[in-house]
This record gives sequence, C-alpha cells and structure tokens, in this order.
Amino acid sequence: MREQGAALIPSFQRSASRVAIRRAASYGEDLPTLLYETLREFQLPVRGKTVLLKPNLVGFDPLGVMNTHPAVIAAARESFLRLGAKQVLIGDGPAMDRDTEGILESVRVGAYVSGLKSVFVDLNVDDVKRVPLKTRASRLRELYLPKTALGVDFLVSMPKLKTHHWAGVTLSLKNMFGIVPGGCYGWPKNVLHWAGIDRAILDINAAARPDFAIVDGIVGMEGNGPIQGTPKASKVLILGDDPVAVDATCCRLMGLVPERVKYLSRACSFLGHVNSEMIQQLGEDIPSTRTSFAVIPVFRHLVDEHSVVWKQSCSKEKISAPPEGGGVSK
Amino acid sequence: MNSPESQKSVSTTESANAVFASAVCLPLLRDQQNEDGGWGFHPKAESRVEPTCWALLAMMQVESTAADREILERSLQYLRSAQLPDGSWPATPGEKTGCWVTSLACWVLSREENGAVTAGLEWLCRDWPWDSSLWQRFLRRFTSERNISPQNDAYRGWGWTPRTSSWVEPTSFALILFREASERALPPGSRKRQQLAEAMLYDRMCPGGGWNCGNPRVYGIPGEPLVIPTVWALLALRVNANRAENQMSLNWLLRVLPNVQSPASLALARICIETYGWSGPLPEARLSAFYDRHQFLRSIPVTAWTCLAWNARPKLFANAARGRA
Repeated sequence: MREQGAALIPSFQRSASRVAIRRAASYGEDLPTLLYETLREFQLPVRGKTVLLKPNLVGFDPLGVMNTHPAVIAAARESFLRLGAKQVLIGDGPAMDRDTEGILESVRVGAYVSGLKSVFVDLNVDDVKRVPLKTRASRLRELYLPKTALGVDFLVSMPKLKTHHWAGVTLSLKNMFGIVPGGCYGWPKNVLHWAGIDRAILDINAAARPDFAIVDGIVGMEGNGPIQGTPKASKVLILGDDPVAVDATCCRLMGLVPERVKYLSRACSFLGHVNSEMIQQLGEDIPSTRTSFAVIPVFRHLVDEHSVVWKQSCSKEKISAPPEGGGVSK
Repeated sequence: MNSPESQKSVSTTESANAVFASAVCLPLLRDQQNEDGGWGFHPKAESRVEPTCWALLAMMQVESTAADREILERSLQYLRSAQLPDGSWPATPGEKTGCWVTSLACWVLSREENGAVTAGLEWLCRDWPWDSSLWQRFLRRFTSERNISPQNDAYRGWGWTPRTSSWVEPTSFALILFREASERALPPGSRKRQQLAEAMLYDRMCPGGGWNCGNPRVYGIPGEPLVIPTVWALLALRVNANRAENQMSLNWLLRVLPNVQSPASLALARICIETYGWSGPLPEARLSAFYDRHQFLRSIPVTAWTCLAWNARPKLFANAARGRA
C-alpha cells in the first residue's frame, strides 16, 4: 500500500523537512495532548489510514532507560487515533532476545496500551515478503521484511535518544533494524552486522522508509548504548516528517555532528536532509534544549568541539561546518 | 517459598498448569495446523519450519489418537518437503539458503531413521562460521575489534545464518541434535565440531553464569544473561551437568525464575530445570493468567513450549538415557 520508491529522492529535489522539538520534563506530563497538538501541526495524511508505530524495544529494562517509554507509545497511539487513523498498530522485533512478551511486560507496555494483544505485532515472527534492495549500499541484495511493516499506510519510527557502541547513535533510522525479522535472521540479526551496520541501515530505510519519526528523548542513554549505557535526561521529544532530518537534529541536541555519523552522511544524498538549512525547526530551538551526550572513545570524533562557542552564539550555520579534520564521509 | 503452604500452593499451580496445557494449549495446536501440514508462527500465518518443529515436538509427546497420528504424519511430510537439495532447511518458504532451523528439523526427524537427517547433519558439519576462520582471526589481530569483545575465536559453533558468526542458541540447537541423532547418522568429523562448540558455549558464558545471545562482555562490561539462551545452552551441555559452569548457570536460572514475566521463559525454564533433576518448588505462575493477559501473543512456538513443559510424559530428549557425551 505504501508508495514504493518515494524514499529515494535526492536531497536537492526535496523540499525542506520539518522537525519539532518539544519539552517534556517527565513521562508523567500530559504527553497525549503534547503529541496530539504537535502532530496536528504537521497535517499528516493519516485519516482513515492504518498506522504502524515502531518503538525501540531492546530488552528487559527495569530502569526504563533502554526502550521507548510506554507513555510515549501510548500517547502517540492515542494522538494518531484522534487524528482520524482507522487503526494504529504497534510493532517491533527485539534484536537480542526472542521473548517479546517478556520484554513487553518488563517495559509495562500493557499498562499503558489497552488491548495490546490485538494491536501489537511481533515483527520478528510476522509473515514475510522478499524485498529486492534498490540501494545496494551494503552487500545485501534482498531482505525478507514483515508484511505488516510493508503493508501499512503510514510508518512511524519511535526510537529512544541513545548513543550506540557500533553505529555512534541509534535514532529513527537505526531503529528500523527492528523490522528485520529474527524469525529469518536470528537473535541478533547478525546478517546486518556482516553487511556493515552503517550500510545496512541505509538499505533498510530505503526499502521501508518511515513516514514520520517521534524520538523519546525525555530520558535517553549516553555512553555504551544501546543497552549498557547511562541514563541521560534531555527532557525533550523530537518529531519530524523526515527521519534523516530528525536524526540530524537529535545529533545536534546531543552535542554531536551529524555529518560525521557515517550512515547519516550518506543518507543525506537520497533519504532526507542533514543540512540544517533544509530543516525547518518547529517548537524549541536546538541551543536551548541541547544536552551533551558522552560517547565511547571510538566515537570521540562525533563530538562537536565547538559546542560551547556554538551554544553561546546560537548560530545554526556553525553546526553545518564541522571543524577541521572532522572526518566527514563523502 | 519453602513453607509447606507454599509447597502445596505451588503444586496446585503446577497441576493447574498441566491441565491448562492439555486442555487449552494442545487443542490450540491441533486446530492451527495449516492445510499443507505445517504451522505458522501465528494462527493463519503461512507455514514455516521453526514453528512446525516446535508444534511437532509437542504433538509427539501426547498419547496418539488416530486424529493426532494424521496430524503428525502431515506435519512430518511438510518438513520433509521443505528440505533443500543441499540437506538444509530454510527459515521461510521460497528461500533457497538453509539456516539454523536445520538443527531443529533434524532433531524432530531424528526419531525416525532416514536420509533427510543424515543430509542435514552433513550440511551442518560443512557450515563453519567465517568470523572464526584462520584468516579472519589473523586479520583481527591488526584491528581494534579484538579489544571490544574478548572471546576465544578458536572455539567455533554455529550461526543463525550460514558462514557468519557463532551464537549461543544455534550452537545449542546443533549440539542437542548431535546428541539426539543416532551414531550411524553422524558424519565423520562431527565429534570435533561438538567439542569446539561445547568449548565455545563455555567461553561465551556470562561472568556470573547464564548466557545471552553470545556477548558475555562488551567493552569490558559484563553482559546480562537471558532466560531463553541460558535454557538452550544448559540443555545442550546437560551431559556436563555437574560442571561448575553448569551449576552456576542453573543457580542463576533458579534465582531469576520467580521474576519471569512470560509464558515462553517460564515454560522453557521449567523444561530445563526438570531435565537437570531439580525437585524443589517452582514459582506460582499460572499459565491461565498469562494466557488471559495477552493470549501468549498468539504464538505457536510459545503454545508448543507450554505443552512440552507441562506434559505428563516428557520425551523431549529421546536419547537422554544414553547420556552420550
């Protein structure tokens, strides 16, 4: 049902993307109203449509810092229903553990979303369809992908704001690893690592590009993410109609330079915008909501050394000009 | 947990779970077999090798009626027809490359003597993980990767997909198969593969016991064990039941069992604990309550595991008595 090929429009042909930053001090705030009001601004074409929310459900998480918080998932579901969506499904395929119900219970999704058994889809074990990959960014030539994810009208990536020990950051693009079915590729989905994580991220998102992204940055994770990092409260939600632009904005919020994240530096040529001049900022501005995230040493090059200067001057232009020797991938 | 009252309560719970497994779960399995003889991961889903194997293993445990024998025969026929020319089984229909489900399919079929199992075992013995080849190990000496996850790559198991990396669960399934298969079906060299795979599992154990997918330590931080990989690793290594690592991992499993929140983990942990001869009390978790909550997410494998866990005549390991090391 989703329009095939729309993902691969070169950036120079794309209109500006829209990204909104909203403050939310805690998960106890009125998130349904906050999200509904923000989503309404985007005038999304969801009336009468089937929406799939794809949160980041990684594993058992007693502290609530690893997975997209269920309050955010529930608020998004409620908001899309209020916007007229016919059906709002929730689906993920946890990568490290096949006990999806156990993960849902540990995250307490059922306490926030009623009737979970009829709205949740375990994408690890969904029926699958063979999808030839057009982008060939990685050595993968095809992937089996869940029919639910391919068949919905509107796909929403809902990651947690986290650093990642292999990819640098894990945001709305990396979150799409979760649609790759463990039932075909195992737990973890090792074939993606063999294909090269950065490149596989591009191929997956070109094959099933999210139509929208909502990032849970109320409490994120820094350091050795996506599982063993340290909680980091940014107290924001980031929403946008271009997952690349959303991820670029998240990086800037985290004190990282998006152009230095390998997969983002390539994603901007065909999947969306990284350049801040092509991102229409809604809601809060980046400088006032910025919270620097620690990264493991191998990703030290992602850190924006000019952050203090940048923060003081509040100049958006400086962020798109990485410091000398910044290692921007071409 | 050890008071007489709780013992009585636990035993009542266990009885209730056994009734639930036979009165609700087993009929569900019977009803959900597809026309082609296989099972999907969910009711009405297309048949796949993995859920078919779990459903078949569960159905094999029950007293056979004529109707059940027909179900079994049709599902065995589905499995036989799904085998690829190279002896392996694919994860999904239409796929031309086999994978880890080959171990499951051979395990199920190993109760019959046939060429399909021999071909599957030979395929498994030919499939080496590439990340631990001599060349890759040599190259890794010169990369920073060697410091990320310190593990002994000379030990080699099996991956989820062929020619990739060793992981705990596919290695465990292959080891279980090698013990379940008849001696005559085992290809030359399989003994060496088993030794390497056993060593790999012990090498990948988490520092305090138990296993996760296969990363016991990343960037110096110990990984957290998980119930399901721990169960399969312990079952694969059950001939070494008294080894310190097995006992430490079993103790970890017993410690976390009261907090288990899902029917999948509960059922598999019960199978493992029973296989290891544990006779102490089990947690008061009622299958019916789990079912009322989310209907097991309509999962055929989870439904099958509950049948296997609470079936009165457990025969999951046909060759358990042999204790072949």
